[in-house]
Amino acid sequence: MRYQGDKFSEYFDANTYLLITRALDYFDPASAFGGDLSAALAKATAKFLLVSFTTDWRFSPGRSREIVKALLDNQCDLSYAEIDAPHGHDAFLLEDARYLGVVRSYFQSKVAL
Amino acid sequence: MNPTPDSGALLPSPDVLSIARLVPHGSRVLDLGCGTGELLAYLIKMRGCSGYGVEINDVNVQACVARSVNVIQLNLDEGLAVFGDATFDVVLQIDTLQHLRNAEVMLRETARVGRLGIVAFPNFGHWPNRLAVLRGRMPVTKVLPYQWYDTPNIRVATLQDFEALALQNKLEILDQFGLQDGREVRFWPNARASRAVFKFRGQRALP
Repeated sequence: MRYQGDKFSEYFDANTYLLITRALDYFDPASAFGGDLSAALAKATAKFLLVSFTTDWRFSPGRSREIVKALLDNQCDLSYAEIDAPHGHDAFLLEDARYLGVVRSYFQSKVAL
Repeated sequence: MNPTPDSGALLPSPDVLSIARLVPHGSRVLDLGCGTGELLAYLIKMRGCSGYGVEINDVNVQACVARSVNVIQLNLDEGLAVFGDATFDVVLQIDTLQHLRNAEVMLRETARVGRLGIVAFPNFGHWPNRLAVLRGRMPVTKVLPYQWYDTPNIRVATLQDFEALALQNKLEILDQFGLQDGREVRFWPNARASRAVFKFRGQRALP
């Protein structure tokens, strides 16, 4: 553990982490649209599959639902799955059957069209 | 709380087809408690509709995605905050009402989000149910197939009960009837039909 820690601190300057998390925190796709996320996404023509995890604090379901609302306002093609998983933000790296299942079904349905 | 996975992947039942006929061609539809998405898929294909389903169950959500039906995974007991006022032509609640804790709130939400609301639920006033209770036991039927101790139907109501609730919430009932084996029952439906259907709209305040 200590070895991994030492190695990691040599690879990365801790300040980059501060900077990156700040950039994440301050990123606001709606800022150029007066804070109106629906207006920001009005140009979107893609089909969307949104997936969130209930214990993810980094990208919480609450924020994902804001995106859902904005895409619904624009009548976008959209499905949203909220996976009840205990693994927090890292859940998307693990093999959650519901998560993999919904992503697989989504791509299969688009290929079939 | 989870809706039963009874919607199946089969063709829509005769009752569901009768309800589908109430949805105008080309409507934007929101189907609350859409199950595996079979009704929406039918409406999209056969009646040129578009829209979304709302579903809580993981397996059902995946089934909707698999058949290319747009689905939003939400617990209806948390409300419909992501949907704007009058953003859908039709909001459907087919066999959903009986699973909801906040059935009355969801009824008002249905009228807020949709220009037209269509609700269908098992009619507890159907005569076999009355007979069962007269004999001293809770009914177990095709439409209400559960024992009292394991039923997901936490609300049981009659056609007349729903009418009273709709009026209490100032909803304008446009049509109401019973369904029995896919046929509309308009004479004494509260006793003669196993399923109740209501078509209504909210009375919007003038600007």
